[in-house]
Amino acid sequence: MAKGRSVYAGIITAAIFILLEFAALSMLHSSSTLQNIWINRFSHNVMARNWGAVERIRGFFSLREQNEILAGRNYELFKEVQHYKELERSLKAMAKLDSAGLAPRFNYIPAEITAMGTNSRHNYIIIDKGSIAGVHEGDCIVTPNGVVGLVYSVDKHYSYGLSLMNERVSVSARIGREGLVAPLLWDGKRSDHVILRDIPLHLDIPAGDTVWTSGISKIYPPDIPLGVTEGVRLVDGAIGVVDVKLFTDLASLRYVIVASNPDRETIEEMSR
Amino acid sequence: MKGYRFVIVFVLLVLVQIVLCNFLNLSRYAVLSYLPVLILMLPVRWNRIVMMLFAFALGFLVDFFSTGMLGLTSLALVPVALSRGLVVAGMFGDELGSREGELSLSRFGLPKFALATLLLCALYFIVYVWADSAGTLAFWQCALRVLLSVLVSTPVCLFIATILRPE
Repeated sequence: MAKGRSVYAGIITAAIFILLEFAALSMLHSSSTLQNIWINRFSHNVMARNWGAVERIRGFFSLREQNEILAGRNYELFKEVQHYKELERSLKAMAKLDSAGLAPRFNYIPAEITAMGTNSRHNYIIIDKGSIAGVHEGDCIVTPNGVVGLVYSVDKHYSYGLSLMNERVSVSARIGREGLVAPLLWDGKRSDHVILRDIPLHLDIPAGDTVWTSGISKIYPPDIPLGVTEGVRLVDGAIGVVDVKLFTDLASLRYVIVASNPDRETIEEMSR
Repeated sequence: MKGYRFVIVFVLLVLVQIVLCNFLNLSRYAVLSYLPVLILMLPVRWNRIVMMLFAFALGFLVDFFSTGMLGLTSLALVPVALSRGLVVAGMFGDELGSREGELSLSRFGLPKFALATLLLCALYFIVYVWADSAGTLAFWQCALRVLLSVLVSTPVCLFIATILRPE
């Protein structure tokens, strides 16, 4: 009993001591600028240490939450790695097919434009590669960003072709990677503008879709980007037409590639 | 009669301390104060809480009437009042309180009394110099100031003790 009373008295004494010292410090704080700064600095140091300790404790108890977030990210990364592994396997399988002796579908010959007409509705193109270089009649002339035209006649060193800016040239094109296939041809207006014809009227073709070569052709290689759609319009009240802005301006070309399909004659014979 | 004399002399000594604080500047490194011995000489029957409250009021009074900073003397004197009981028990034994006696230099001898005074003065000046310097002085400067102040003030404190209780 006496011991408990002694502890109680000790606590009261300590509390009063702290109270008096605190009161003295408060008076000192307000009575002198130097002591004011000193006490403020001390107080800020203590507060900073307290905040740091509280943050450390909070960080310790939030580890579980952080672990859950990391586990989630780990799972996402695992899925991504699996996806890339599958892609790698697919690429390896394709490489095996290539090395199995299957011939490529097209041969490519680089060429330079020697002359090109752009002022009529039946424009032409002459390139500096002929039969010696392996160019044949019916080959197509392309760039990495579009179709330029079609080889019409071949000399030893030069070839004459019909430009895409020619009403007689039509390219099988596809809207998007797996969309509608339609004939693409020049509308005779600008050197960077063509149209897709015979679009079903019930289809809504949004502007901004990329147009590619379809691959359903013995002349044009598949998946060459041509341009982007600019919207659908109605012609003669019955035909849907999609305006396409080409990626390359045909009037400003200099270097092209001749794509030659070695199996073209076989395909033509089979289709007769 | 002895009690009245003690009170009168105590009040006069407080007034003298206020005058000293206002007009006596020994050195930048030495402070003269006999307030610790005034706390030491207070009646032994006073408990610690009363002693601390009295020390706080005494420090406030001295600061208020001197050119010093308000709160500085209270800050240094309250720890002296808190530790006074320990020093008395350690130096003079527990029987002092039970016999209802009072402290005096002649009764307990110079060595013990001087050591008790020295301890309380050291405690007082450590807190006083630490708070007064406010972090502007280096450690060795503070230590020198404490040392010199204790060396100057302890003999004065012993003299004041003989005035307070001459028997």
